[in-house]
Amino acid sequence: MRPVVVAAYVLVPLFGLFMCIGPLVTRPSVQFGVRVPSEYSTAPVIRRERRSYRWRSAVIAICAVAALIAWGGHRSWVPSRIILLVEFAADMGCFWWAHRRIAEVKAAEGWFAGRRQTVVADTSWRTEPQPFPIGWLAPAVAVIVVTVVIGVLRYPHLPAYLDRGGGHRVATSPVSAFAVVFAQAYVTAVWSGLLALVYRSRPDLDTADPAASLRGYRRALGVFGRAGLVLLACVDLSLLLYALQFWQVLHLSGDGNVLVLVPFALGLAAFFCAVIRAGAARARVAEAAATTDRDDDRFWKGGVVYVNRDDPAVLVGARVAFGWTVNLGNPTAWLLISGFVAVPAGLVALAASAI
Amino acid sequence: MLLSVEPDGPVPIYQQIRDRIVEAIAAGDAPAGTGLPATRQLAVDLGINFHTVNKGYDLLRQEGLLRIGRRAGAVVQRDAASGPPRPDWEEEWTTRLRTMLAEATAQGLSSEEIMRHCRDIVAGFPPVTNDDPARGDAA
Repeated sequence: MRPVVVAAYVLVPLFGLFMCIGPLVTRPSVQFGVRVPSEYSTAPVIRRERRSYRWRSAVIAICAVAALIAWGGHRSWVPSRIILLVEFAADMGCFWWAHRRIAEVKAAEGWFAGRRQTVVADTSWRTEPQPFPIGWLAPAVAVIVVTVVIGVLRYPHLPAYLDRGGGHRVATSPVSAFAVVFAQAYVTAVWSGLLALVYRSRPDLDTADPAASLRGYRRALGVFGRAGLVLLACVDLSLLLYALQFWQVLHLSGDGNVLVLVPFALGLAAFFCAVIRAGAARARVAEAAATTDRDDDRFWKGGVVYVNRDDPAVLVGARVAFGWTVNLGNPTAWLLISGFVAVPAGLVALAASAI
Repeated sequence: MLLSVEPDGPVPIYQQIRDRIVEAIAAGDAPAGTGLPATRQLAVDLGINFHTVNKGYDLLRQEGLLRIGRRAGAVVQRDAASGPPRPDWEEEWTTRLRTMLAEATAQGLSSEEIMRHCRDIVAGFPPVTNDDPARGDAA
């Protein structure tokens, strides 16, 4: 079985499980992407929608895994991707449904009418910034160094053609042989760069108790950052295993190919657990409000996509689960997205022309 | 220091930023020498235009409460323990105070009630301890 097919067996249940829990462990003041005053965080409509969402997302996850098993043994990667796509669309549909129902009741009952809506910043976030866990980047860098050393030692002994899997063969050249190392370097640079941006982005503080909110955010960010760098090391390790196979150091056949994905799967599972834990840490922050957070729902499309031209922030706290999303109203965000698309596309084109 | 602003409130945001920082200095939360975030960083944290933050910082600089340097950024220049204010400052402040007290009088508050409010507010600020005579305005 090819690793791309097996990847779906990892992603479908993990994503399903994540979507069952992730949207339920957000801050009390944001429910399914709707900003609510603290005393409404347990309103009947919110309790009802949380219960319904739990059931719906669980059924979606079970159906997706059942469909995957029904297609078991299929050698093509297409059905598994379709299942993942349908699962994603169904989960987002359920999220949007709950979002609409809560937003309707909020508007009808005027939850924010006559309230003092404030935005709060803690200057200590900038004067004493959270240090990036640079030490946790060491495993990922070590894996790349090991890959380079093995590659350099192995390169003189490689045959004229290399098997890329699935019957594709490429002529041996420094570019084709070390493509995996380039991939490791790219993934490491992009992911650690993104995490560094996240460490500099703004924390969403609850106006009711900003100091406790910032402490909770710092804890959650620490968990997220460390888990993100562990995931990075796992991805690099999976790429190292693939490289060993590609360079004919490791000979895996049939279901043995699955071994390549084991570090990635374990890293992703740990990362999802960490995101849920980080979200839960923030969800516990107590709220007893004299003032209310600003009702900024008009900038959130469907409670998921943030577009605010007047906000200079590039990255903002996501509302689906604990995490971040880009402000599509900021031109820098579009530059960032274009960079992510253009750089790998350019590298692939370069590699293709070199091969 | 916590900076809380009402983006949709009647008071301009730069004025709110200026007011919150002055209150933090008086409350002892931002003594002289305290560093403040760069204008762009604070603008990101509050989700507002950085020119607005700049305007608030500039007001504080003109009032002698903030020093803005290229390297050190924005730093609180003086606090209650830094000695008496500039001679011309008191006259300008008295003009504004007259308006505030006139508002209270026009709204029907008695002079006793006005004085009680003033006493309560001033009592809420920590007592001034001028341990280091070298600080003064040069701090």
